[in-house]
Amino acid sequence: MSRIGVFVCHCGENISATVDVAKVAEEASKLPGVVHSVDYKYMCSDPGQTLVKEAIKEHNLTGVVVAACSPRMHEPTFRKACAQAGLNPYLSEMANVREHCSWVHEKSEQTTQKAFDVVRTMVSKASNNAALEPIKVPVTKRALVVGGGVAGIQAALDIANTGHKVILVERSPSIGGHMAQLSETFPTLDCSQCILTPRMVEVAQHPNITLYTHSEVESVDGFIGNFHVKIRKKARSLDEDLCTGCGLCTTKCPQKKIPSEFEQLLGTRPAIYTPFPQAVPNKPVIDRDNCTFYKTGKCKICEIVCPTKAIRFDQEDTILEVEIGAIVLATGFDVKHSDFFPEYGKGKYKDVIDGLQFERLASASGPTQGMIRRPSDGQIPKKIVFIACAGSRDPAKGIEYCSKICCMYTAKHAMLYKHKVHDGEAHVFYMDIRAGGKMYEEFVRRAIVEDHVNYTRGRVSTIYELDGKLIVKGADTLLGAQSVEIEADMVVLATAGVASEGSEDLAQKMHVSYDQHKFFAEAHPKLKPVETNTGGIFLAGACQTTRDIPDSVAMASGAAVKVAALFSSDLLTREPIVARVNRIPGPSHSTCVGCFLCQPVCPYQAIEREDIKDRAGNIIKSLARINEGLCQGCGTCVALCRSKSIDLLGYTDNQMHGEVLSVLEEAFV
Amino acid sequence: MDNLRQKAKELLESKTVNLVIGYENGTNGKARAVFITDPEKTGKLIYDERCKQNLAVYLNKHEVKHYGKIAIVAPLMVMRSILVLVSECQVKKENIVALGIGEDGSLLDFPSLEVVEKYVAKIPLGNPQSDQEILDKLNAMTMEQRRAFWQNELERCFKCYACRAACPMCYCLRCTVECNQPQWISAPAHPLGNLEWHMLRTMHLTGRCVSCGDCGRACPLNIPIHLLTMQQAEEAFHMFGVRAGTSMKAESALSTYKPDDKENFIL
Amino acid sequence: MEQFEPKLVAFVCNWCTYAGADLTGTSRIKYATNVRIIRFPCTGRIDFMLISKAFANGADGVIVSGCHPNDCHYTSGNFHARRRWMSFNAMLTFMGIDPDRIIFSWVSAAEGAKWADVVNQSVEQIRKLGPFTEYQKLVQSGIEEENFNG
Repeated sequence: MSRIGVFVCHCGENISATVDVAKVAEEASKLPGVVHSVDYKYMCSDPGQTLVKEAIKEHNLTGVVVAACSPRMHEPTFRKACAQAGLNPYLSEMANVREHCSWVHEKSEQTTQKAFDVVRTMVSKASNNAALEPIKVPVTKRALVVGGGVAGIQAALDIANTGHKVILVERSPSIGGHMAQLSETFPTLDCSQCILTPRMVEVAQHPNITLYTHSEVESVDGFIGNFHVKIRKKARSLDEDLCTGCGLCTTKCPQKKIPSEFEQLLGTRPAIYTPFPQAVPNKPVIDRDNCTFYKTGKCKICEIVCPTKAIRFDQEDTILEVEIGAIVLATGFDVKHSDFFPEYGKGKYKDVIDGLQFERLASASGPTQGMIRRPSDGQIPKKIVFIACAGSRDPAKGIEYCSKICCMYTAKHAMLYKHKVHDGEAHVFYMDIRAGGKMYEEFVRRAIVEDHVNYTRGRVSTIYELDGKLIVKGADTLLGAQSVEIEADMVVLATAGVASEGSEDLAQKMHVSYDQHKFFAEAHPKLKPVETNTGGIFLAGACQTTRDIPDSVAMASGAAVKVAALFSSDLLTREPIVARVNRIPGPSHSTCVGCFLCQPVCPYQAIEREDIKDRAGNIIKSLARINEGLCQGCGTCVALCRSKSIDLLGYTDNQMHGEVLSVLEEAFV
Repeated sequence: MDNLRQKAKELLESKTVNLVIGYENGTNGKARAVFITDPEKTGKLIYDERCKQNLAVYLNKHEVKHYGKIAIVAPLMVMRSILVLVSECQVKKENIVALGIGEDGSLLDFPSLEVVEKYVAKIPLGNPQSDQEILDKLNAMTMEQRRAFWQNELERCFKCYACRAACPMCYCLRCTVECNQPQWISAPAHPLGNLEWHMLRTMHLTGRCVSCGDCGRACPLNIPIHLLTMQQAEEAFHMFGVRAGTSMKAESALSTYKPDDKENFIL
Repeated sequence: MEQFEPKLVAFVCNWCTYAGADLTGTSRIKYATNVRIIRFPCTGRIDFMLISKAFANGADGVIVSGCHPNDCHYTSGNFHARRRWMSFNAMLTFMGIDPDRIIFSWVSAAEGAKWADVVNQSVEQIRKLGPFTEYQKLVQSGIEEENFNG
């Protein structure tokens, strides 16, 4: 029989003004299992807590019910008090007689009756309580950062600087991401590479960071603190230990006209290449699809010229297996290209380019050495039309959202153009100017006022080519939708930012959820923006939604702190409110029949398959098993299980059933 | 019928399967289930309109599973039951050969259960017409009339659980009615206990019932309890657009959701 | 005649409706005393049998409430719960058990006022329906039968 102590709080007068607390305490003392029942002015005060602690010892209590405020307020307080008195904290319950009773009802017999009913219900729950121990999970103190853009770089450096090991995986041959492609950055117009490349070098040289470029995550198993990750290191076709990065091979390669991905196809590269001069690591990779040797079996010029004999034509992909405690996803975003827009020529006009291409044209290290030259004939355009919201905020294109960064970079592009081509004309078509951010609005203003960029509010309906000019037809909605026609030399589309290619695959490998646009889903839109629903996996940067550099960096640092917090102790302690599949002696082993309908219900992929084997190793039966490291305790599987084989600790079937029964018992005993 | 017997014989002779489950002539002119391991005895197999029992109920039995590969005479309801059982990991798809029976009674060639899925996808599914007519009548009644109807019917139940035994989807090792910690279902066969039991059975079959009607046929008191699960099968289709026994994927109406499921009564 | 005071049990999730009801308290919004709240971690945890147990044990009405769609603390518990409720509702309707005895609602942690409204409306609705005698009669006949047999 349980021995339960009931403590009814006056909360000053917050409760006692409308509830007859003495009567509640007196009636509670008559409940079966209750051996001690008192009321007190302030239960949460020190003397109040002492009252609980002393009663636990004096009456040898097996359960405590504090009738006071909401458990969301003081449950931890009284659990701690119980623990201090040697009672398992999960044997304590709170009856919410303030928020749910005294504050919402007038003083009356019914209010006191309700308070007592609540106490009785919680006494019933407490008598069905079991002592629970916090779940401890060992933590491997090594982080994996996926994606080597600015967010991944920041996250890796921040985690590494807390003294923990980090593995940074990047699928392209160099880290740097989209930021490395940018010319200058808003709102300060400092050169992107000048601020980014030192960070890239720091990553390469950091003793705590292991960098795998030209590599991808192959698979992820396990759970928070204990992931088992396979990384595919794609063949670079050279021995990285021997290669000094002298670059001789890249200058001698006979293939020179391969469109460069880094230059957004506006420039070219050889078949053995580093994406850009400041690449980290500064070691080339052979593009086997375009290499003469792989295509024809003849050439090997790079092997001949290499002073350290580092070229390895027969190199194969290798799979690395690593144990990881936490993962930061920082896989960034892609932009839609001009071929996405039938109304703007579907990619057939060479001089209709996207924003990233313009960045390369404006970049001092780009294909035009920073001169704005149009791709078709290399002429300097005298009139450029910039179109904001190309694709974004357009439900018809399947992209309802605002890409967030385009208003700012469009203003920057127009500004850079005006700085470089003084007699040029820059026209911007926009829907709204969204320049929320420190110095952002001022920046846009500057483009309009100081650099005389013409802003027209309205959308462009069509673009067509006529006599070497691009005819841009749009409307000015501030002038009553009056039609506007501009003969432009070049058009720059601020195309929508979208989830980076392969996000869906990666999300599925990681068991991370994603939204309808394939951006990774945060655990809570407000309070858990860097967490995912999968414990131990965090998000940084534009893989969650398009965002600019400062936001990406801030988010990366946030994710890094989450990782550091996880790594701050050897054991991860979790609330023991988890589901559990029952076990009974053989031959049944469990009442679970292994229908696994619970599996798709679990938002956390916490339900695993456990095979029960006989001595010969034959599978007798497959059961569901809850991974306590992953389970968050929602209990959806419990209610779904037809044979009642799963139960939720802290909210067991017995407890909930008992509560329903006791809450409906007749009035005062 | 000759095709069926021939095919069954071939399967047993070639040891493709070790057991054939089908129908044979029983007593009193009825058809009953038959379990054949000897290829020479496949001549017993029959298929006609008397073959109503859902044979899939045997697939999950220990005594049957132990044969490994099994062929089963499979009219539509059996095909659908097999798909449910595979989706719920109760039988292995590589262990089942479906001797499909088409709507005209002819033998269908199903080299794999994937082909069964494709076949089922092409057939209009729903409750047997005679049952649906009764359902329509019940649905046209007032709430009060339906309550009286069911009270009258369920009162007679004495909880023999024949309905449970007849159903291929009621394969739990321990049914919730046998749970006494807590006692979910009042044990005696009184009106409340009966109502609770049938509510439980109906909810547990929601999204899983293939409308074979065997529960109703099994009832010794002829209580039309199959109407409960059949009604829910239609409801699940109307509300969620899913029918049980159409796919081997682990997706039942109540273990999946759509964010835009309609909600017409939620405040 | 004294007006009928129905007994209601509310099954609520911890993260939205329980917190919303806390906010009703902190905002000192008054509502009817007829409801007793039982806290669940999530609406997904609420077994339909608990609803029938509540009726069998004398509840005249049941409120089930949790986070709005897309706001579930556990992402999808309320979506699963919704399908379960819809099926349960359909079944009760078919069995002739008045589904108006159960009130389903979404009340967020910010909707203190809505919680008071939901409670007051529910109490009124159940008051109009009167005691749930149809169900309680079943219980009664069960008890009599047991006594008779025992």
